[in-house]
Amino acid sequence: MHILIVDDDPLTGEFSAAILQQAGHHCELVEHGVAALERLRADETIACVVSDLHMPGLDGLELHREIRTLGIAVPFILLSGDDLCRTPDQHRDISAHIHKDETLEQALLQAVARL
Amino acid sequence: MTQHDPQNLQARKARLRNSFIAQLPHRVRELRQHLSQLAPGQQDAPHLQEIHRILHTLKGSGATFGVPEVMSTARGAEQSLSRVLDGEAPITSKLLDELAAQLETLERLEFEYAPSLPQERAPEVDLPAQRSGRDIASCRGEHSIYVCDDDPEMAGALAMQLGCFGYRVTPFTSLTRLCQAVTTAPPAAVILDVVFPEGRNAGPDTLVEINRITGQRVPTIFMSNREDFAARLHAVQAGGSAYCTKPVKTVEMVEILDLITDTTPAEPFHILIVDDDPDLAQYHALILEQAGMVTRVLSDPAEVLQQLETFKADLVLIDLYMPRCSGLELAQVLRQVPRHISLPIIYVSSETDAARQFKALAAGADGFLTKPLEPQRLVTEIRLRAERMRTLRSLMVRDSLTGLFNHNTILQLLEIAVAAALRGNTPLSFAMIDIDRFKQVNDGHGHNIGDQVLMALGRSLRLRMRESDVVGRYGGEEFAVVMLGATAERAQQVLDTLRLNFAEVTFVGAGGQQFHCSFSAGLAALPDFTDAATLQEAADRALYLAKRRGRNRVECAPIASATPPR
Repeated sequence: MHILIVDDDPLTGEFSAAILQQAGHHCELVEHGVAALERLRADETIACVVSDLHMPGLDGLELHREIRTLGIAVPFILLSGDDLCRTPDQHRDISAHIHKDETLEQALLQAVARL
Repeated sequence: MTQHDPQNLQARKARLRNSFIAQLPHRVRELRQHLSQLAPGQQDAPHLQEIHRILHTLKGSGATFGVPEVMSTARGAEQSLSRVLDGEAPITSKLLDELAAQLETLERLEFEYAPSLPQERAPEVDLPAQRSGRDIASCRGEHSIYVCDDDPEMAGALAMQLGCFGYRVTPFTSLTRLCQAVTTAPPAAVILDVVFPEGRNAGPDTLVEINRITGQRVPTIFMSNREDFAARLHAVQAGGSAYCTKPVKTVEMVEILDLITDTTPAEPFHILIVDDDPDLAQYHALILEQAGMVTRVLSDPAEVLQQLETFKADLVLIDLYMPRCSGLELAQVLRQVPRHISLPIIYVSSETDAARQFKALAAGADGFLTKPLEPQRLVTEIRLRAERMRTLRSLMVRDSLTGLFNHNTILQLLEIAVAAALRGNTPLSFAMIDIDRFKQVNDGHGHNIGDQVLMALGRSLRLRMRESDVVGRYGGEEFAVVMLGATAERAQQVLDTLRLNFAEVTFVGAGGQQFHCSFSAGLAALPDFTDAATLQEAADRALYLAKRRGRNRVECAPIASATPPR
């Protein structure tokens, strides 16, 4: 699967990529929301977006909203270091909200496998 | 991002984790700089938000990479901040102190993590100790420096710059807070502006006050826009150790800081005494020891070579007339061993005949002292010769601009180190480092500025490497480091930290314009390569690769007999 990873921290971004590549996915890494939107508009083969929540400029939720505004229905997985309860309920079409901790690896693989 | 080898994940994880740890000091410095821009009562949201963002990233990465200490400290600091960001509380000095303390904690974590290798066996290597006290930088990281300037940007920028050279710097903008800090936690040195809103000489006046309260002289460097004699005199009278005019040149500042914070005593001279009369030998030894030298006494010339293996003598004092082996013969034996050719030899004898003295000297000795010896004369003669020998030797093996080992020396030392590492089965890495686009610096800013860049990198290398590591200038803008006991992974981590730090140093061109430099490095390690020559070739290839892949990066040479990629 062609997955777009959005993370302002290149290290964690590469880490997510490493996990997903191990499972055979093709990963592409961008560092902010605007670049993510550009890529999504340009490349229709992107089958999933994995995005960090806290980023300068466009944050993860804003990115999600922009993607939907553009009418792109790509599955969206949100990563964050915060407690999960802070994600409002109205973002129901976010496929998964994953906590950045030692469970990240397993949770991310499961979330992508369920898509 | 083209690697698909599933077995790679663990390795990549480890590598990412290392990069994370290596970047930590850099992040903490960023945080410090933003923090220095904040003052109580202020509503400076951009800096606050930036601090929050960095902390947040640290929290997330700390958790992801399994460094829980970083995670929890960053979380604590983030929580302290969030109430202010939400507009529920103002910036208070309590909050700033709290954040400073949390940064301090983060910085300490760095020491528990990054540089700690499992205790390695001391390598059995015959390497000249770096003798001059200024080379010994092992304790430099503990030097705390206070910078005080009423311009927060200036204080913050200087703090960050000096941080790149291994100093722990706390910036202040108020003289009152500086006073408080100096009295509660005395720093190794203070860098102090002269002109403050309080007055044209408020800086020096405050230093007088500080010295009066503490009853000690705090080493202080003044910096000022004022170049007049009166200002300089006032600074001297207040007890300032140095005076720099603004704009401050970081490299110059570091030179001065090194000098005034250096508490390492010079290595005492080591003298080997060979005399068949044990009483006389002990008597000479006693005189020299009282003058602060270290001595070793031998009564049997046959033991000299062996003794010199472990006792790094600066000079050998030999009795001319000994049974079985005369001093003259002993000198000839010593001169047959290449590495003792430059070892100073002084005869001691009651021989007063000039012709015979001359013959003895012709065997390759450096001086002749006639018994009975006046203690003061003995000490002076020996000190003079030993000192000069040290200077000469350092000129022979060191590069004059950077004070690092020169090309030939570093290659010799690499061979010795590789042999020892193979014998002891200990890790060893060799790195070649090249300043990126150095020609542009020389062409654009002139050679003087280019030399400053070389000196800055040379200094960073000396400060960051361990004392046992061998640091040399390979030629031009190229440097080389032999890292004893370091695996490729560890070496890469150290070099990456160094690379990030060096890229942060701001240089000032001749016209006052600021610029930055970076370097690329190629790395090769035992046991991937098995001798000095192939290590060197591999490091060179890796350096070329680093250049080709975009510069400002560290590449590790792949194992020579690597299994072909699947």
